[in-house]
Amino acid sequence: MSTNLPDALAEYAEIVFLAPEKCKFSMTAGGFLALEYGEDKFPVVSAYRSFPLTLGDKYISIRDDKEKEIGIIVDLADFSSDQANLVRAELERRYFTPVVETVVKMKEEFGYIYWEVITDRGPRRFTSRGQHDSIVPVSDTRILILDVDGNRFDVPDVRLLDAKSAKLLESLM
Amino acid sequence: MHQLEPIPEGVRQALNAHGITDAQIKLCAAGDMTTEGNFAEAWLVATEQELCILTGVKAVVPKDKRFGRKQVAEQWQEVSYRTVALSAIEEVKAQSLNGNGLLVITIGEQAEVACRYSNTMARKFGQFARLLNKLRKGEQLTEKDFTAEVYQPQCPTCGRLYPNPTRRVCPRCLDKRKLFMRVLSFMPRYKKQVIQILLCMFAGSLLQILSPYVNNRVFFDEVLNPAGKYAGRIFSAVLVMGAIQLVSIAASIAHGRINAELTARVVFDLKTSVFQAMQRLSLSFFTSKETGSLMTRVNSDATHLQYFFHDGFPYFIVNAINLIGIITVMLMMHWQLTLLVLLPTPLIVLCVTKAFPKLWNAFSRRWRHNSALNSLVNDALTGIRVVKAFGKEDTERERFMQRNTKVYQVNMQVGHIQAVLFPVMGLIMGAGRPIVLSIGGWQVISGEITIGTLMTFLSYLSMLYGPLEFMTHIVDWWSSCMNAAGRIFEILDATPDVAERKDPVRLPNLSGHIELNDVSFGYEPNKTVLENIALEIKPGEMLGVLGYSGAGKSTLVNLISRLYDVQEGCIKIDGVDVRDIAVADLRAQIGMVLQDTYLFAGTIMENVAYAKPGATIEEIIRACKVARAHDFIIKLPNGYDTLIGHRGQNLSGGERQRLAIARAILHNPRILILDEATASVDTETERGIQEGLESLVKGRTTIAIAHRLSTLRNADRLLVIDKGKVVETGTHEDLIKLQGHYFKMLEKQRNALKIRGVEVSEHQLAGRAG
Ligand SMILES: Nc1ncnc2c1ncn2[C@@H]1O[C@H](COP(=O)(O)OP(=O)(O)OP(=O)(O)O)[C@@H](O)[C@H]1O
Ligand SMILES: [Mg+2]
Repeated sequence: MSTNLPDALAEYAEIVFLAPEKCKFSMTAGGFLALEYGEDKFPVVSAYRSFPLTLGDKYISIRDDKEKEIGIIVDLADFSSDQANLVRAELERRYFTPVVETVVKMKEEFGYIYWEVITDRGPRRFTSRGQHDSIVPVSDTRILILDVDGNRFDVPDVRLLDAKSAKLLESLM
Repeated sequence: MHQLEPIPEGVRQALNAHGITDAQIKLCAAGDMTTEGNFAEAWLVATEQELCILTGVKAVVPKDKRFGRKQVAEQWQEVSYRTVALSAIEEVKAQSLNGNGLLVITIGEQAEVACRYSNTMARKFGQFARLLNKLRKGEQLTEKDFTAEVYQPQCPTCGRLYPNPTRRVCPRCLDKRKLFMRVLSFMPRYKKQVIQILLCMFAGSLLQILSPYVNNRVFFDEVLNPAGKYAGRIFSAVLVMGAIQLVSIAASIAHGRINAELTARVVFDLKTSVFQAMQRLSLSFFTSKETGSLMTRVNSDATHLQYFFHDGFPYFIVNAINLIGIITVMLMMHWQLTLLVLLPTPLIVLCVTKAFPKLWNAFSRRWRHNSALNSLVNDALTGIRVVKAFGKEDTERERFMQRNTKVYQVNMQVGHIQAVLFPVMGLIMGAGRPIVLSIGGWQVISGEITIGTLMTFLSYLSMLYGPLEFMTHIVDWWSSCMNAAGRIFEILDATPDVAERKDPVRLPNLSGHIELNDVSFGYEPNKTVLENIALEIKPGEMLGVLGYSGAGKSTLVNLISRLYDVQEGCIKIDGVDVRDIAVADLRAQIGMVLQDTYLFAGTIMENVAYAKPGATIEEIIRACKVARAHDFIIKLPNGYDTLIGHRGQNLSGGERQRLAIARAILHNPRILILDEATASVDTETERGIQEGLESLVKGRTTIAIAHRLSTLRNADRLLVIDKGKVVETGTHEDLIKLQGHYFKMLEKQRNALKIRGVEVSEHQLAGRAG
């Protein structure tokens, strides 16, 4: 694996990059991810994103049941699609973030914003604390909405929403 | 029947259909997601024998495409049902993932997901897991297990979600009138001023209304008119007008002055009580996410209330009187014309309610972008060393440009809105004038009304719209004031979790015996930081605590000094539960040197004397000598009088730590807690401090946390914590023999030194060379 770090440093920063051909992910009957890596067998592993907001499919840390890092997947695209999908499903479960499709209602009142939205996971009502604390701008067109309980809702591109939803959201950006 | 939450009728029927009767249900909770991650309802119901997992949907019958509260028919439709025998379950765990949580049950070797839920429900399911484990082990659930209130995410009155379900205050249904009365209750202390203000306001309003009448009607019709009552008495008329003006100005000056004084006093009182209340609250109140921006919020809320007293309430009364007074006089003078003039009023109301929010929105956006810009400047300036060190001036300039452009854009937007809005408003408000002029003018000519009446009318007209506009947004404004008040009272009323018992045990002379029984603790519901810690520290003993970063060492001492309360188990000092000991006694006798040294803005002298305000100069110098701080202080040009800037940025890390140690030494506690107290100090100085401390530590219970093993050379006993559990305890020799964690740490530190060609014996490293 080529890195830009000086070789001397590479020796100390021992990152294990998981070779796609040596990985065999599978799903346990209970719906958890398992991994065979060469000789090693891990009955339960978990997957973490290094860059949950910007690089969802890259630099994925695979950890064993003691949360110890087994290695890092550089890019899920290097894996066969069914292997990648297994990992992706696990990631999507961990970083559960419904995508807002329509903003039905958004009312700012008493320092809180009351929302009614339709997400790709179904309709949802939630409350977020005033604008400053709850709207995280990820880019010029993308925002993340945090509700009072720490649930997250993604708006990947405000411009792609219907006119009414976009207008409601724009007042916050 | 014990439950975590009430079961709705549809679900009850579904359960009954599966042969589960109400009496069998021991525990139940609703999740809000399917295991695939779609929003839907899922019920977990436990009887004494089994766990039932029931999922279903509420059939949504939309009246239009959007869904709304009233359009959701509460019709439960079952989707799936399965049961698991409790005896088959090995373990139940509430596992929190980043965006949601899983209730995982282990059957045999196999872990599976029983239920998935959003973070909203995390606390509830944490509790559910704990209770289900009890049930599984055949234990009976008692009332005590259900002390946590029934889960209720919505306000029962208006159906709105609570902004914070653990707090259960619905800002909408908050009794505004009660709040208002309570805000006003700050006023009676100043009865005299309030009465004075009211009198001034009445007088001022009266004169204000009178003045156009005298200036126009009386002057033109009675003075200038040869047939008038006061024909020709111009001088006296002007005198009267001047007098009215003078008295009116005097009243307004008096009002302003008294009001300013009153407001300042009320706000002063308010801030004082808020600050006092905050000091009383527990640490967890401040570190919870909920109150992240507590300080700014309290400040801005107090400012809001200040506006209320200063601009809002008095002006409301003034405007109300003016409005009623003016309209009454106008109606009396010429009711037909008055009604005509009032015609555009609805338009004004419309304009204010529809268009103004846009402007406010833009204002708040401008405010936000401005504060973003400010924080960037602030960041770049405080971090200027880093910026310079990495040569990143250009990047910073670029970032500044970006934000500044946003500010510029939003400024322009505000300008554009204003440029349209105000002329249009002016136009509507001015619409009354041509009406009055044309109809009135015509009537003047035909002799129906006098010219004075017309002029008076025009004057009143210009006075009318101001109060009208004010009244249109008073409602909005009132509710935002009441919210500010609500939040302030919330702090005033909050009961600290770490509260003193009613009749606390007084322990003015601790011996310093500490005992921990099965203590478990977590800052957040689903994440235990300490688990089943059992520990005894004898009076006068020095205990060294080691462990990897994040193991829970600081947390342990936070619990002992009762900055937080344990969740399970108990901590006893001298045989008394810390929760029963008078907080003042506890604080007076526990001294902490914290990992992150905090120095207040003030002199070195003041900082050291913080814990003991009456300390003599000699005491202070002695404490600084023990802490090895005296020498460096003396070398400073201003010595002990040196002003330490914000957080002591002009001192080195080790110097700051030594001041903190001196502070603790002066405090002279029975129990001394040193959390990485000498981590930033070189080993030589550390040894010096320790020698000084040794005499001091003698006879005192000391808990010292350190990563550098040599720091703990004097410890009577060592305790190794790993992932929240005590893994090893014993003397240095014991632990070496054990060849466990401690041994490994020792090896690693020795190897680290070996790399640099330093040969050290194990005893030297552990500081037992003697
Ligand atoms: N106020 C807090 N709220 C939430 N979690 C916290 C809080 N303080 C600490 N934690 C978490 O609790 C765990 C233990 O923290 P603690 O400060 O006790 O560690 P430590 O052993 O003192 O580590 P170090 O050696 O780095 O000081 C960490 O995972 C930390 O993230
Ligand atoms: Mg610590």
